[in-house]
Amino acid sequence: MKRKVREKGNVFVVPAILWVLAFTIFPLVYSFRISLSKVLYGKIAGFAGAANYLRMFGDYRFWGTLRFTLIFVAFSVCVTTLIGLGLAIVFNRKMKGLRAFRSILTMPLFTAPVALGYLGVMMFYEENGPINVLLKYIGLGKVPWLSHPLWATLAICLVDVWQWTPFAFIILLAGLQSISDEIYEAAVIDTSSGWAIFRHITLPILSPVLGTVIMLRMVDAFKVFDIPFSLTSGGPGTATRTLTFYIYTQGLRNFDLGYASAMAYFLLAITMVIGLLFFRRYREIYE
Amino acid sequence: MRRRKGSLVTEVLVWVIVVVAILWVLFPFYWTVITSFKKPADVFRLSSIPWLQFTPTLSNWQTEFTQRGPEILRGITNSIIIAVFASLLAVALGTFAGYGLARYRYVKWRNQSMAFWFLSQRFLPPAATVIPFFLLMKSFGLLDTRTALILVNTTFAMPFAVLIMKDMFRELPVELEEAALVDGCSRFEAFWRIALPLAAPALVATVIICFSFAWNEFLFALVLTYKKATPMTIIIAGTEHTQGVQFWYVSTRLLLAILPPTLLALTVQRYIVRGLTMGAVKG
Repeated sequence: MKRKVREKGNVFVVPAILWVLAFTIFPLVYSFRISLSKVLYGKIAGFAGAANYLRMFGDYRFWGTLRFTLIFVAFSVCVTTLIGLGLAIVFNRKMKGLRAFRSILTMPLFTAPVALGYLGVMMFYEENGPINVLLKYIGLGKVPWLSHPLWATLAICLVDVWQWTPFAFIILLAGLQSISDEIYEAAVIDTSSGWAIFRHITLPILSPVLGTVIMLRMVDAFKVFDIPFSLTSGGPGTATRTLTFYIYTQGLRNFDLGYASAMAYFLLAITMVIGLLFFRRYREIYE
Repeated sequence: MRRRKGSLVTEVLVWVIVVVAILWVLFPFYWTVITSFKKPADVFRLSSIPWLQFTPTLSNWQTEFTQRGPEILRGITNSIIIAVFASLLAVALGTFAGYGLARYRYVKWRNQSMAFWFLSQRFLPPAATVIPFFLLMKSFGLLDTRTALILVNTTFAMPFAVLIMKDMFRELPVELEEAALVDGCSRFEAFWRIALPLAAPALVATVIICFSFAWNEFLFALVLTYKKATPMTIIIAGTEHTQGVQFWYVSTRLLLAILPPTLLALTVQRYIVRGLTMGAVKG
């Protein structure tokens, strides 16, 4: 069927393409125009050139949000991937009942992140919240989870880790399960060290899947908004504002549309680089 | 590794890790459920075992459904309408495009570039389109309407549906459709009568996953709605600001917002890995 080149297959793809053009590409072009404009009281008031883009470099709040976003991305991506990998290795064995448990572990993926933020407010509550009570039993003092910048950062990261570890886990598990038993049987003849097998056989075969997980996790972490919004409202002060959060505040609370659009393009550039890397790696899959 | 029979120690260790992981995942859900059945005094005394440490009460749920009933009902209705229409629309568009990409070879725009084009949407930050979307919806008079959110969520879910359905159609044997063509079906009939029914399970799974995405969406709902069209994600966000730390009420709403997509997703386990990686990893 694929050989019949000149058939009218356009009918099938055109609606979807038009949809993306109308609701993604057009808004993006529009917002690029806004990012080059001076905006007063929510109305475009003349051409501003690159002024909005240059403003980012002198804006210490922008650097603050960027720094927090990068810390968050680094922490969240590393921790979710490592714990996910550990769990995937544990679950990758033939034992009864593991499948049902696997399903339970995927539940956090489908809970609304904004709801998790509020759930976090309950869990991290400083006076008698369950986490602080637990820490008291272990003999640690009261942790100021939501009122201290450093702890608030950790709290946000932990909620995100709770939600997204299953993502790394389930994909890496699928990757592990696709490695055939013969490879391991052959390896066992050569070495008896579990670590050597993991290091020289499992890890190389798993690396494309690991790459997928890391890239997708990075993009999602860069886009994060819901959890800081609901858990800390970006606070204390502005310590836990992410890029998306700052874009939202500048653009849709202060109506500084030009500047917010410029920052949005900055974020877009970051995620598109990750997207290109992803695509270069998996080109064959999408042909 | 997988085949090796572990010693008793590793066996026990594995089960300890499994149990800890399950508790780690379930505890927040459990905590929300019990908090919704607690009296305010019990919430602040910290008690975790019903009947032993506190007497469960239905009063929070009663208050929520009587005093704030209309608001919650509106939120749930909005969420359902938005998520149902957006997911159906996204999957309809995605199924057609996915079929096209799987079965035809396009000359002017190559299949791969189109697939990449759809894939790139997955990497697009919502923050990049939220401002123009707000301005557009404002000028079309669509602020605070469910239509606006249906359009937004369709846009987010559709590329995902395209790539998943493309994969699914590619895995169907092409011979069945060819036989149908020989028997005098039109190309569209071959798609509609043969390929589509065969892809039905995948189709349903894709609808469910898109439904969850749309149900959980927050940023655009926050920007585009304020009263009439607010979905559940916004209703829970509103609680905290007006009620302070009334966890007993917050938890009832959290449950209403969390449960539908979380429970639905348990039915699509087979498709989750593909879905989450846009088809890059087959689960």
